[in-house]
Amino acid sequence: MKSRYIKYLAIFAIGLPLLGSCTKDYLDVDPRGTVLESTYYKNPEEAFAGLIAAYDPLGWEAGNTYHNIGAVNAASDDAYAGGGGSSDMNTWQVWNNYTLDPAVGPQEEYWDRNFTGVSRANTLLEKVQAGIPGLDEATSARYIAEAKFLRAYYYFDLVRLFKNVPLFTAPLSTEEIYNVTQASPEEVYAQVEKDLAEAIPNLPLTVPATTEGGRVTQGTGKALLGKVYLYEQKWAHAANQLQDVNGEPGGTSQYGYKLLDNYGAIFSPDNKFNSESILEIVHTSVANGGWGSWPGFEGNVGVQMFGPRGYAGPIYQAGWGFNPLTLDLVNTLKQDPRYKSTVANIDSIAEAGSASYEKGYQNTGYFIEKYAPKTEWLSTGGGDAVLNYPNDYIEIRLADAYLMEAEALIQSGGNLERAAALLNAVRARVGLAPVTATLDNIYKERRLELATEGHRWYDLVRTGRAATVLAPMGFVAGKHDILPIPLVELNNTQLVQNPGYN
Amino acid sequence: MKKFIYLAINCTIAASCYSTVSQANPLPLSVHSKYAVTVTGKVTSEAGEPLIGASVALQGTTTGAITNVNGEYSITVPDEGGTLVVSYIGFLTQEVPISDRTTINITLQTDAKALEEVVVIGYGTQKKSVVTGAITSVAASDIENQQVTRVEQALQGRTSGVTVVTSSGAPGASATVRVRGITTLNNNDPLYVVDGVVINGGLDYLNQADIASIEVLKDAASAAIYGTRGAAGVILVTTKKGQTGGIRVNYNAYYGTQAPVRKLDLLNATEYATLRNEASVANGGPIIYDDPRSLGEGTNWQDIVFEENARIQNHELSISGGNEKSTFYTSFGYLDQEGIVAPEISNYKRFNVRLNSTHKVAKWLTIGQNLGYSHIRSQGGLNTNSEFGGPLSSAINLDPVTPALITDPTILEDPESIYNAQPTAVRNPQGYPYGISTEVQQEMTNPLAYIQTQLGNYGWSDNFVGNVFAEVEPIAGLTFRSTLGTKLAYWGGESFRPLYYLNAASSSIQTAFNRDRNMGFDYNIENIVSYTRSINKHNFTVLLGQGAYKDGNTSGINISFNNIPATSFEQASFNLKVPTANRTSDAYEGIEHTISSLFGRVTYNYDEKYLFTGIIRRDGSSRFGANNKYGYFPSASVGWVASRENFWPANEIVNFLKVRGSYGVVGNDAIDNFRYVSTVGSGRNYTFGNDFYYIGYSPNAPANPDLKWEETSQTNFGFEATVFQDFNLTFDWYNKVTTGILQPVQLPGYVGATGQPFGNVADMKNQGVELELGYGKQIGEFDFRINGNVAYLQNEVTFLGEGKEFLDGGAGVQNIAYPLTRTAVGQPVGAFYGFKTVGIFQNQEDIASYTNSEGKVIQPDAKPGDFRWADSNDDGTIDESDRTFLGSPLPDWTYGITLNAAWKSFDLLVFGQGVAGNKIFQGLRRLDIPSANFQRAALNRWTGEGTSNTFPRLTTEDSNDNFTNPSDFYLEDGDYFRIKTLQLGYTLPQALADRLHMQKLRVYASSNNLITFTEYTGYDPEIGGGSLGIDRAFYPQSRSFLVGVNVGF
Repeated sequence: MKSRYIKYLAIFAIGLPLLGSCTKDYLDVDPRGTVLESTYYKNPEEAFAGLIAAYDPLGWEAGNTYHNIGAVNAASDDAYAGGGGSSDMNTWQVWNNYTLDPAVGPQEEYWDRNFTGVSRANTLLEKVQAGIPGLDEATSARYIAEAKFLRAYYYFDLVRLFKNVPLFTAPLSTEEIYNVTQASPEEVYAQVEKDLAEAIPNLPLTVPATTEGGRVTQGTGKALLGKVYLYEQKWAHAANQLQDVNGEPGGTSQYGYKLLDNYGAIFSPDNKFNSESILEIVHTSVANGGWGSWPGFEGNVGVQMFGPRGYAGPIYQAGWGFNPLTLDLVNTLKQDPRYKSTVANIDSIAEAGSASYEKGYQNTGYFIEKYAPKTEWLSTGGGDAVLNYPNDYIEIRLADAYLMEAEALIQSGGNLERAAALLNAVRARVGLAPVTATLDNIYKERRLELATEGHRWYDLVRTGRAATVLAPMGFVAGKHDILPIPLVELNNTQLVQNPGYN
Repeated sequence: MKKFIYLAINCTIAASCYSTVSQANPLPLSVHSKYAVTVTGKVTSEAGEPLIGASVALQGTTTGAITNVNGEYSITVPDEGGTLVVSYIGFLTQEVPISDRTTINITLQTDAKALEEVVVIGYGTQKKSVVTGAITSVAASDIENQQVTRVEQALQGRTSGVTVVTSSGAPGASATVRVRGITTLNNNDPLYVVDGVVINGGLDYLNQADIASIEVLKDAASAAIYGTRGAAGVILVTTKKGQTGGIRVNYNAYYGTQAPVRKLDLLNATEYATLRNEASVANGGPIIYDDPRSLGEGTNWQDIVFEENARIQNHELSISGGNEKSTFYTSFGYLDQEGIVAPEISNYKRFNVRLNSTHKVAKWLTIGQNLGYSHIRSQGGLNTNSEFGGPLSSAINLDPVTPALITDPTILEDPESIYNAQPTAVRNPQGYPYGISTEVQQEMTNPLAYIQTQLGNYGWSDNFVGNVFAEVEPIAGLTFRSTLGTKLAYWGGESFRPLYYLNAASSSIQTAFNRDRNMGFDYNIENIVSYTRSINKHNFTVLLGQGAYKDGNTSGINISFNNIPATSFEQASFNLKVPTANRTSDAYEGIEHTISSLFGRVTYNYDEKYLFTGIIRRDGSSRFGANNKYGYFPSASVGWVASRENFWPANEIVNFLKVRGSYGVVGNDAIDNFRYVSTVGSGRNYTFGNDFYYIGYSPNAPANPDLKWEETSQTNFGFEATVFQDFNLTFDWYNKVTTGILQPVQLPGYVGATGQPFGNVADMKNQGVELELGYGKQIGEFDFRINGNVAYLQNEVTFLGEGKEFLDGGAGVQNIAYPLTRTAVGQPVGAFYGFKTVGIFQNQEDIASYTNSEGKVIQPDAKPGDFRWADSNDDGTIDESDRTFLGSPLPDWTYGITLNAAWKSFDLLVFGQGVAGNKIFQGLRRLDIPSANFQRAALNRWTGEGTSNTFPRLTTEDSNDNFTNPSDFYLEDGDYFRIKTLQLGYTLPQALADRLHMQKLRVYASSNNLITFTEYTGYDPEIGGGSLGIDRAFYPQSRSFLVGVNVGF
């Protein structure tokens, strides 16, 4: 071959890679596991994954609130913020001493958690209502009912914590984002009632506890609706809904609810989805969460938070010393049969010489027992053990529903006999003598029965007692009944700050 | 076929070579011809000096000879009719017909082109005198005497307009490099192109000794040829090539020790206890320490974490050479550096190998390759520049009362002491436990114990970076060049977590052994055709190119065994099996990012007097949707060499003057993939029943199908001049405007989105001037050269979206409620933002009289000794709306100065660099740990009327937020000037070197960071990395003393 041909052949060969890279396909890269919304929600599995996503915020554990327990306990007169120092977990501290302001406080996390839940529920509703290939009608109806329940749940938290929040019943389009204004609390409550009323008929009566425990049922829906009515002071409506949930006081209700004989067993991870549990937020140790997965833990980090700091001894693991109990609560409980199941008296264990622990900030020596980090529950799987406690958080349980109904009955002038039966069934379970069904007795019972479960602050505020009970902590009526709208939410939006926080 | 090997000749420098090897006589290279003729002669330079080692070859054959020490050659040729080709480096090759002669003396002309400075401009080179863009060049000779361990550092202070800030003083740490400021709110790293290969992920794989030159393309007109990713500037690195004329061997090494430059003035135990008592009492609390004096000096934690004698050594061996057909450059490098903080867990080792070669296969075809390999192994478990733990932060914050090691028998024998209660409290080899502070906890742990928990953990990487190319020149001036460049990288790490108890907040109750392995493969293919032609005085080059680039092709796996039966890293092994439930694993793969490009460039000049360059590039990116897949990036620049005009008067003042101007647009696609569509993400998980753990999916963020290229346009004017023969001067002014900066649109929380959508949101501008000056002179045996550069730069955010005054968020520090920085319209990026102090209330009257314009007392709850906060909005109260801009972490001025001097055999190098006009947030003390140790400044706290107007009173409950508000109390001037390098060298006289069979032998002593002039009170005013200018216990750079040697054979 003549060399000049070689020359041109070489040019041709050099130019070859050019052909490979000039086509438009070259710029269309493989999404490799990135799923596009336009191609998603196309089969029953993907619809289920969407449902899971709507449940997900229920279990969020980003440290600033810990469900409806940690921060809200610190805001009440049952527990302090505690921790390692006066600014450790500052969002709890400032609620504990009522120095919270729009920039600093637990509000942002409550806000984000619940609006994320609203958004996911809205997305699921839109997708399922548009039709998902292969998803049968019954399952569709159940998903829609669950999504509506969840939307109601999230909005109930929003409206009771913030009062003035924007209301969305469909995914928000890009154009609308900055034009949103707040709805009135009445509108929000109306939507919550409507969602729950529409959801209840399509929810299952019960679910198999082993595989589906924690998914919402008709009983869950009615219990929440009853609770919502209670907050709205629609007493008769509340009593009606809760009656369906509770059935005969002390007996087994139509949904299978029954008070457990053993009060202490209610909170044991061995006893998940027991007959007293109505709304249970599920945790697991099998997700092997590590610090890197913050805040998406599936374990219960709250449990670790509540443990005594630097504890070394029997039964418990070391925790971070949050929510030490107030002496007021401890003294109120002292003579009560529920004391041992409610209060972990670490001081006495330490003084007996069988354990040591570090006295953290606001330490009283008394800690939460119901969600204490016990050695038997410590995860042995992967991830960081302290982030993987399997304890579920029971947000509504039957005793609570009994007491709510009893309260509603008295307030509405309804069946006082039934009110007394409900109240005394709760007392009888722990061997206490009956008392008369007065509001005062019910309030007292709620504090003792539900201590450290996160209800106290809400109860005080809802019944108007916060102004006096919490005043020594800095509570200002008319201001601290609700949280400030998070400061960042006011940037560039149409939202208006809540009164007292300007 | 006959092969001749041109033996290595140990001297290649003409003037002073004396050789003792056998080539003293002309080297006869025999051929078998019955008419063979021997031709002899001498090769000299124009000045008449003999050229030693010049090549004399018979054209068209492999017959050849090399001149001896007297410049003489002897060659036997088959007949008298051939032509001799005579070549020597730096000289023009000459062809001489033999024409029946037997003695031919040849005088070679120096190659003016080889001597004139050329500049790499991207896909080619250009004579410096005709360059029209703003390009700064750093030559090998500028950096080869600097003992820097990463290439980026070599640019610091040498190139005007390039800001280099180390991101940590830890061995092997990268540097933050900014070309002409911060261009975008996204990735501001310049584009690195090494030998034509686009390098993602930094240059730590490069051996600095292998670099022939570094060019920084600063203006848009220069960078436009790299259109897509040129917005933040382009840094072109060219590695060394072999050169014809014998083999050269160079060995360079240095060895030295490093030590911290300064330590903080922290309180000793007595002082600490006194202040704690005072703070407690001020708040109505008890006396904490009954007798502070009895505590004495206490523990000096800084002495424990700092190493005063950290070793560093570096060795580099290169072998290069070649002939007319082939050249090669091979090198080996080894760097071993210990850190000055906890060197047991802070050190860095790097091995390098490089092979560059070119082969002229035919007259019209050249092929070649550049290939570098590196292996890096580093330990860095220090959690550097983090207020949340790590030995350095702990050393600053731990109380001096706690002993480092517990030897007191009463504590050791007390069954209730923490050391006995916690069986995993860390102990030293003798069995004594390390002290655990009861005063300062959270992430602050005994550094000695912490180090024990990190021992052995390391990270590693292997990089193969290189290219192959073929270049065809079918007719003179027309070349086709095709290049395939790749970067193949492997990296990973191994770590072991033992059981330990450091304090209540930091303990490990499970062992875990972790290994991760990752790989990435990037490549680019480029095809270029260029044609250069000169017609009369019209000189032009036309270049057309096509390129395809792919990166992001990564994948990795990560495995942990929990509860592994081992107590240390050495014992840990994946052969120690654990039940499946105790194993966690993860894996990932990256999404590829592709770019497809077409580009063209025309350069034209008339008589090297009127200059023009025009560039256009079209890039398509996989990161944009169909609406805006392609972006077009044009640029043009012009220049005028006034001093070449006929009317330019012959004068002794201005010897050369070129004025130039340019305008161009470059782009940036530095966002994540698939941002233009709505994606669905996983990880929204929930559990039903007994551990039925499900993975949930939901949309991430609303879609933005109109997402498009971020654009940066830049206008540049400049001039270059030589005045009074010896002064070189370069001046540039520029205005750089970035529009449509790709930003996550921070949605209000009520949208409930899990991610954030991206939009073309913000605009920003940078304006600046740059000046470079050089002066050199030889006076007798004294020779010196001084180079300086200075740059001034102002950054301003001009738009952040309709009605949006500032970006949400900002850099946070510790648990301070408010972000420390704010990016706002009219301010530089990330300016410090917080409360302003206006002195300290000295008494109750001060408090009562501090009112707003309406007479409202602003701080009624304050106590004497508290800060008086500026009521910026005059509303009579202090709240978050009183925060204001307090200064910028970005310097206004950056400058550098280099002095090279030589006298006889001695040489001296002084190199200094500095910045001015920036602020540093001194966030070294943990404000959320009131018991943390103080710096000595706290001794000058307010203790009563008139005692201090700058440092407030101490109290445990800081109700006035004196310490927890982000305020100017923590801001300090960041100005500094640093003698980066001071070096004294001695070169053995040539005659002596020759006797040792060396071409060159130089020894030197050097110091890095010898002196720093600054008023900053932290360890080191140079704070880069994640958040510029925020000192969270920044790992400082060391001061080193080194001795080194340069040997050439």
